[in-house]
Amino acid sequence: MVPVLQFDGVTKEYRSVWKRRVVRALDEFSLTVEAGEIFGFLGRNGAGKSTAIHLAMGFMRPTRGRGAMLGQPFGHACTRRRVGFLAENVALHHLSARQLLWFYGALNGMSDGALQRRVREVLELLELAPEANRSVGKYSRGMQQRVGLAQAWIHDPELLLLDEPTSALDPPGRVAVRELLLAARRAGKTIFLSSHLLSEVEAVCDRVAILHEGRLRRLGRMSELLEAGGESEIVARGVPASVWINASGVENGVRFTVKTQAVRRAIEAVWALGGEVVSVTPVRRSLEEIFLELTAAEPPTEETRRARTG
Amino acid sequence: MRAIGLIAANYLREQRWAVILLLVWVVLSAVLASVGQMEPGDVLFFLKQQAVYGVAFSAFLAASSIYNERRSRRILAVLSKGIERREYLAGLLGGVLLAAGIYLGAMGAFGSLLFSMARIPVSHVWQLLILLLVACALAATSALLFATFMPPIVAVACAALALGLGVGLTQIGVTSSFLPVYALVSELTSYTYSPRWSPDWTPAVWGVVQAILLWLAASWIFERRDIAVAVE
Repeated sequence: MVPVLQFDGVTKEYRSVWKRRVVRALDEFSLTVEAGEIFGFLGRNGAGKSTAIHLAMGFMRPTRGRGAMLGQPFGHACTRRRVGFLAENVALHHLSARQLLWFYGALNGMSDGALQRRVREVLELLELAPEANRSVGKYSRGMQQRVGLAQAWIHDPELLLLDEPTSALDPPGRVAVRELLLAARRAGKTIFLSSHLLSEVEAVCDRVAILHEGRLRRLGRMSELLEAGGESEIVARGVPASVWINASGVENGVRFTVKTQAVRRAIEAVWALGGEVVSVTPVRRSLEEIFLELTAAEPPTEETRRARTG
Repeated sequence: MRAIGLIAANYLREQRWAVILLLVWVVLSAVLASVGQMEPGDVLFFLKQQAVYGVAFSAFLAASSIYNERRSRRILAVLSKGIERREYLAGLLGGVLLAAGIYLGAMGAFGSLLFSMARIPVSHVWQLLILLLVACALAATSALLFATFMPPIVAVACAALALGLGVGLTQIGVTSSFLPVYALVSELTSYTYSPRWSPDWTPAVWGVVQAILLWLAASWIFERRDIAVAVE
């Protein structure tokens, strides 16, 4: 199966006008996104997330490496007709929401009949219908964000590249977008979601990639990532808490954590003491903990400093 | 073609206040020119003055078009759709020419009115304005070409230099066909109300051909330029 989105050793360097200063935004970045998944793309500010998305959309060219979107090299105009894109800090022309959606749909080659119907549907879907004839320049930031999502959705794309889609939305708006993303996945669409809202990513994404200083730090299924702490929590009863260093008392027993490799030994120890194991649960870490651990600021070595600033 | 038309119409709408301001200027100039005894020289002065403004307006509008769209980041939503960059540039140029066309149309309407008030035949006004529209197209594409890789003010300056080179080559007798904005505007500035007057269409043909070549060159450069270049 052809990947929906693929980066193959992509490096992107920004150069100043006289090329004295070079900043490497992406460094030998490789990633594959499969059809039908919601893919979370995480990283601190300046990690290179938007650069990667802009490269995929063909707004810029890689310095080295190559990539493909829906089986075509980046920057292919016909491919973009099958892709919906929402930029971070969306900026739109000051038309009414209805006119704006019609404009973007028509740019994508939609026929008038299909477009009229689709504009109506998308306005309803994103709860914009009551304000559809008002200029988006007079909308709140959250409503503008919804119009931004609507323009990405208008042509019913196969792939959605969304850069911070919920950054300006209130909690009900975020829930609505989450539902929208899940419905899109059920409809077989692929979503590439860049976000700083880790709880949102944790809730909807199948796989996640964490980018740090232009390099891929972690890639994997969300469930595997969260359970990859290497520790398990054991609850036992009928044993004294003093046997384990980190044990704490719970109702009718004790709770302690051990390395996953040591679980069997711990269970045997409980039995040997005449106790009973109530539960063994792999310790799940939050995405936030993993993110902070992987993207913690490190003092740059001379080599990395040279690599990033030329 | 539909995408080009949409971008052009949208660009014109974005520039509506600049166009309205110029139309007000045309109307005020026409009213002032028509006060008192109408002399043919006054009418011609009105047209010549407006013609130069029209060419300069087209160059400035084209030079700032890409920059404004990039600065506002609205270019991202447009270029994320299934359009080529050359179509995008053609749309911007189309918008500039629509604005110039409206301006020249108003100028033609008032010019015709003033001509008739001064009892001068009006049949030549519209032919002169077609030549002026070609001059505007040439000035706009020159400015747009430089604007693909330069800031607007520098792009306008470079376009002025390039168009000035065309004037220089005409003056020293090498060729009058290179960027013939001067030759096109001269058709109006040298107009003398002769009933047998007929325009020289050769500079217009050269002008259209070179405007297309400049657009192709601008597209070639623009397709190789990064759009979102800000370091995160």
